[in-house]
Amino acid sequence: MNVKRLIAGTAGLAMLASFAAAVPASADKLEDLKAQGFARVAIANEPPFTAVAADGKVSGAAPDVAREVFKRLGVEDIVASISEYGAMIPGLQAGRHDVVTAGLFMKPERCAAVAYSEPVLCDAEALLVKKGNPKGFKSYQDIANDQTATVGAPGGGTEEKLALDAGVPRDRVIVVPDGQSGLKMVQDGRIDAYSLPVLSINALVQQANDPNLEVIAPVEGAPVYCDGAAFKKGDEALRDAFDVELAKLKESGEFAKLIEPYGFSAAAAMSTTREKLCAAQ
Amino acid sequence: MEWDWNFVWQIMPTMLQGVKITIIATLLGSALAAVIGLVIALLRRSPNRIVSRSVGFAAEFIRGTPLLVQLYFIFYVLPDIGILLSPLVAGVIGLGLHYGTYTAEVYRAGIDNVPRGQWEAAKACNLGPTQTWTHIIMPQAIPPMIPALANYFIAMFKETPLLSAITVLELMNQAKSIANSNYRYIEPITLVGAFFLVISLCSVFLLRWLERRYGRIES
Repeated sequence: MNVKRLIAGTAGLAMLASFAAAVPASADKLEDLKAQGFARVAIANEPPFTAVAADGKVSGAAPDVAREVFKRLGVEDIVASISEYGAMIPGLQAGRHDVVTAGLFMKPERCAAVAYSEPVLCDAEALLVKKGNPKGFKSYQDIANDQTATVGAPGGGTEEKLALDAGVPRDRVIVVPDGQSGLKMVQDGRIDAYSLPVLSINALVQQANDPNLEVIAPVEGAPVYCDGAAFKKGDEALRDAFDVELAKLKESGEFAKLIEPYGFSAAAAMSTTREKLCAAQ
Repeated sequence: MEWDWNFVWQIMPTMLQGVKITIIATLLGSALAAVIGLVIALLRRSPNRIVSRSVGFAAEFIRGTPLLVQLYFIFYVLPDIGILLSPLVAGVIGLGLHYGTYTAEVYRAGIDNVPRGQWEAAKACNLGPTQTWTHIIMPQAIPPMIPALANYFIAMFKETPLLSAITVLELMNQAKSIANSNYRYIEPITLVGAFFLVISLCSVFLLRWLERRYGRIES
């Protein structure tokens, strides 16, 4: 009896083990996604990069491009989950998402952590301040120099890093959970400036329609960044397939049709490459 | 996933900053909750119906809504009517109010447990209301409450990560911002758990001691 049980148990375990091994062992991620019928993407709900409408429909320039490219690759649809910027790369590494399409700008340290596609969306950085820019900010340096100034930025976002790199101490860089909160905190005077890419700030201000706010764009000294679809290291084959279709989209002009209504420049994305952006300091 | 001790030492100073804020928030929140709870419990016993009913309704309202919603309200909505609180102050008020409604119930139970004869005896000795409360009722009501109150304070301590939603840079928020820039969760989040455990265990010992020292009704 015991022996029988032992054998049955071992067989069960072996089956489980082989099953568990079978899932990640299939080398071709693209085939998996095709069979699954959708790709899981991480987004941030920061229009116009990524947006979730009231009815739950996912739009924004980055998911739109990804949806089109995946469709051409034979993956019917994308399923998006909203994430903080800082949680995107760990989430990708943990296998929670197949790809990040959220305006996650290419920077050397991120290039080291993920496999980026070729550039998709480019934008400069901006600051949201009160009307008349009472503290006279033009750059992150100005914020660092003013001993009492505070700046809000998304946690793990490019702007947080830029502010810290410019010498703004940690306790004056306030991690703001989302765009609406950031806007509210500037209105209430909790922070002196809120930093996001130009197009995001413009979208936010347009929504709020508050005459007491002003946008400083572009921030002096902060370069123009471009994002790409970010894949897990090891999914380079999928990334390469994505790049091929993305290049075709760019060439046919459909790429411009997808992103220009959102205010992004297709020419900017096409004038640069992943290689250049990942090497830039 | 590999544990990296170098990374642990590198992030330790930042984490300790977070620990400091977490402890401050808990201590201030507990003090506020203890006071607010007592006030609520006493006002609910008021012979004036309007006072007791309205305080009772407000307490039930606060007790019946999530702390996170209250924190958002205090932090993001109150500025619209001109009340601008710093994140930590808003957080302490949120914790204090929320847990004050819980501790009010503890006080109520403690006060109700004082035998009726004690009230009558106080009256018979011609003691005024203030004397009755401070010399007869409270000294008998508070000691049995200590374990229950301590329980709520430890619960509050473990709820402080909610303050990260209103930009308080407490332990959890520090860990998240470390994870954000290093793409590593294992060390910071493990440390958060370890810090909470260590502090909880220490406070359990401290509270046990308090219970032994003051938890007996002196006769």
